[in-house]
Amino acid sequence: MTTAVQPSGGGTGLDRPTPTGLADVIDTILDKGLVIDAYVRVSLVGIELLTIDARVVIASVDTYLRFADAVNRLDISDTQHEGLPDLIEDVQSGGAKAKTKGALEAAGDKLHDLLGEDSGENRQRAARDRGEGV
Amino acid sequence: MPETGTDNAVYVYGIVPADVESEPDTHGVGDPPQLVKTVRRGDLAALVSSITTDSPLGRPEDLAAHAAVLDRTAAVAPVLPLRFGAVVTDERSVAEELLATHHDEFAEALGELAGKAEYVLKGRYVEEEILNEILAENSELSQLREAIRDKPEDATRNERIVLGEGINNAIAAKRDADTRTMATALADVGSMLNLREPTHEVDAVHIACLVETARQADLEAAIDRVARGWTGRVEVRLLGPLAPYDFIVTHTEEQA
Repeated sequence: MTTAVQPSGGGTGLDRPTPTGLADVIDTILDKGLVIDAYVRVSLVGIELLTIDARVVIASVDTYLRFADAVNRLDISDTQHEGLPDLIEDVQSGGAKAKTKGALEAAGDKLHDLLGEDSGENRQRAARDRGEGV
Repeated sequence: MPETGTDNAVYVYGIVPADVESEPDTHGVGDPPQLVKTVRRGDLAALVSSITTDSPLGRPEDLAAHAAVLDRTAAVAPVLPLRFGAVVTDERSVAEELLATHHDEFAEALGELAGKAEYVLKGRYVEEEILNEILAENSELSQLREAIRDKPEDATRNERIVLGEGINNAIAAKRDADTRTMATALADVGSMLNLREPTHEVDAVHIACLVETARQADLEAAIDRVARGWTGRVEVRLLGPLAPYDFIVTHTEEQA
């Protein structure tokens, strides 16, 4: 189980969510782990990404404009909690309903596009090479 | 159910030592979810379930099931996680081609993982707090803000882009600094770290670490010490124990 132990000490600091959410799973299992193709011939199963309830980050100028709006709002409505409605949208099945992919890798890339992970705009660390091949 | 028909194949979750049993009634990917079992060969076993090749895979339930099978295992035994979507023709191929061919290599990797699991630390800035912090520290940005805030949006689009870019860069610099702080704390407990890419523009830290499960309390205490210094500023979550997704490497000799 991924639950078990509570944070040591009282109410602040570390949060131990349980169970692990889908977004956390997607971060982890689509581009990390052993790649079986390197070992054996596989019969591919088409991966269809249905209704992935993920968050999309729109990069660059939209991000900047949103930050500008956010700082301009700061002391106008300090008590009002603003979310990120302009920026985050649920991905419904529409964009993700690619038919059977030629390869499993392609499906992973597609999902990464949806998650905005390949935008490269604000990537400080090139961790890509750590997932495999190091 | 036939295992070798044209419509059936074997979905592989991960590789474990041969003495690991899959928990009874563990269900994996597929619709309906199929029972997870083991295929053994030598000192190794693969966690597998039957899958039909004529229906697509990749529903949220499939992704969650893949992770759940591996993470439950990782809490009690070493496991080499396969990337989501690994399918082999039949059980014989799992034993002969996957396990037998790479037996020693897999067994050695499992030996190195004994007693350890992955934990993933995610921290996200509390936006209002981090923006106030940045404006307080950066007079250039706060002056720019003062200059444009009461003007109409249409007339100040370029200035607002410059302001927002400055904020974005300032957050990136804070992310680097805070990641270093947390990585230092984790390194005292973890045997290995992987600094993951941020997945959100106000991500503060995103770090995977491989730690002895017996030291989980130490890990949590170390994170807690840093997180308390960030109270109200960064929301910190710890996931795990998880399968060591970030620390398993595929050797590809044919690639340069």
